[in-house]
Amino acid sequence: MSAVLPAGFAPLEPFVAVWAVEGTAARAALRGISSEADRQAFYDVAKDHLVAALALLDAKPIDQFDLAEQNLMNLMLALAHVSLAVEVQRDHESELALQARHMPITRSTAGA
Amino acid sequence: MDGRAGEWMLGTDPVPAAPYCDPAYFELERQAVFRRTWLQIGHVCEVPEPGNFIVRPVEVANASILITHAKDGRIRAFYNVCPHRGTELVTETDGRASVFSCRYHMWTFGLEGELRAAPDLENFFVAKEDCGLKPVAADVCAGLIFINLDPSPAQTLREFLGDIAGQLEALPVAKATTFSEYVYEIDANWKVTYDNFQENYHIRFIHPRSIAETAHGPENPFGYPEKFAFHGWHRTATLAMPSNSGPRARPQSVNAVAFGALAQMAAADGFADSPYSREYYALFPNFFMLGLPLQPFSHCVMPIDAGRSRGVIRLYWNGEDETATRRFAREYILGAARDIHTEDRCVIEAGQRGLNSGALTHIHFQKQEVLCRHLFHMVEQHVATYLAQRAEAAA
Repeated sequence: MSAVLPAGFAPLEPFVAVWAVEGTAARAALRGISSEADRQAFYDVAKDHLVAALALLDAKPIDQFDLAEQNLMNLMLALAHVSLAVEVQRDHESELALQARHMPITRSTAGA
Repeated sequence: MDGRAGEWMLGTDPVPAAPYCDPAYFELERQAVFRRTWLQIGHVCEVPEPGNFIVRPVEVANASILITHAKDGRIRAFYNVCPHRGTELVTETDGRASVFSCRYHMWTFGLEGELRAAPDLENFFVAKEDCGLKPVAADVCAGLIFINLDPSPAQTLREFLGDIAGQLEALPVAKATTFSEYVYEIDANWKVTYDNFQENYHIRFIHPRSIAETAHGPENPFGYPEKFAFHGWHRTATLAMPSNSGPRARPQSVNAVAFGALAQMAAADGFADSPYSREYYALFPNFFMLGLPLQPFSHCVMPIDAGRSRGVIRLYWNGEDETATRRFAREYILGAARDIHTEDRCVIEAGQRGLNSGALTHIHFQKQEVLCRHLFHMVEQHVATYLAQRAEAAA
C-alpha cells in the first residue's frame, strides 16, 4: 500500500482524510465549517512541519507530485486557511465564517 | 498633500446624502458616468491567444460585452448582440472560437466582428458590410482591458489615465499571466461600497486583527496614508510604512512563512524595489489597484442599481504556481485578502440601510476621507456636464 504522505510526515497522517482537500474554494469552505477544536488540533501539529514540507515539495515541479506529495501540498494549503483563523481572527473567526459565504472564490492558481 | 498634516482641498462642507441612495441620481450616473467613461472589464491574460474570447456583463448599462483576441493581435470589444434582431449572441462566459454563430438564424461573425455569413442574406435590404457586430471602444493599459460605451469617447484611455498609465505599467499587473479571484454582491450603492475602500479611518475598528494589530503603531493609530494625490478624475493614497513601534508581524508563525515567501517572490519577479509599491490607485469611477507586490490586487465595484452592486477582486500573478512555496504563498494571501474584504461587506450594507431610511440629508467626510469627497465631486461634475448637454440639446 502506498504511503499517504512522504516519509517524515507521519504526525500529519491523522489529518489527511479531513484536511487534504483539492481546490482553494473547498479549503476555504472547510475552514468555515470546521470547529475551533478541529482547526486548533490541525494547526498545532501542521505548523511545525510547514517549512520542511515546502522544502521537500519545492524539489520537484508541482505538476509531477505523486499522491503522497499532493496530499502533503493540500495539507499545507489547508493550513494556510486554518492559520488565518487561528493566528489572526481568533475569537472573531466564527462571525467571519458566517460572512465569508458571501465572498465565493471563483478562480485560483491552485484550482478553484 | 500630506495625509496626516491636515491640509486638504475640495472643501469642508457636508455632502448631500441623496447621491448615495436616490434611484433618480443613479439613473443620471448611468448615463453621465458609466456610458461615457473608461471602465475596467478584464485583463489580457484572460484572452492570451488569437481565438480567445470572454463575455462580461455591465449591468449598469444593461449590456453584455464580448471581448475578442483576433489574429491581428488586437483586443476588441463588441455588444454581445446579433445585429439581425438583437438576440444575445454568445452564451458562454469565455472560450476559444474562430467564429460566433447566433443560434436563432445562424448569422455568423468573425473575431473582428465582421459578418461572415448569413442564410438568405440576399433577401435582406442591408449590405453585408453593414451587418457587423456593434463595436465598443476598447483599449489596454498595464494588461488591464478597458471599454468605453460612448460611441465617441471624449478621451483616449491614455488621456483618461494621464500620468497614472505609466505607473500602472510598472506594477505586477502589467506582467500578469494569471490571477485568482473572489466576488461578492452587496446591498449597497457602488459609491457607498467604493468609499469604504478609499479611507483608512475604519481600519482599526473593522479590521482590528487582520490589519491594525500588526500595522499601526501609536504614531499613526488609524493607519492613515502618508499622503494623498489627485490625478484628474483619479486619486491615490501612499500607504504609510509599516509601524516600527507597533506589534511586529506574528513571529514563528505560518503568517511569517507566507509573508517571507511573498517577499522572496516579489524580489525574484523584479518588484522588490518598485517605486509604486506603496501606492493605492483609485481610478474613476469604480476601480482600485494596489501597487504592493506582496498583495497585487485589483477591486472593481460594478453598479447594479441604486442600492446594489457587484464586486470583483483579483490577485494578479506572473507565471503559474511552479513550486509548492509559490502555491502556498498565493493561497495564503488570497485567504488573507478575502478575510479583510469579508470584514468590510457587512458594515457597508449597514451603512446603506441607514442611508436608505432617508434619516440623513447630508453626510460628513473628514480630512482623511478626502478621497471619498473627491469621488463625490468627480461624479457631480459628470452629472452636471450631462445635464447641461441634455438641456442644450432640448433647447
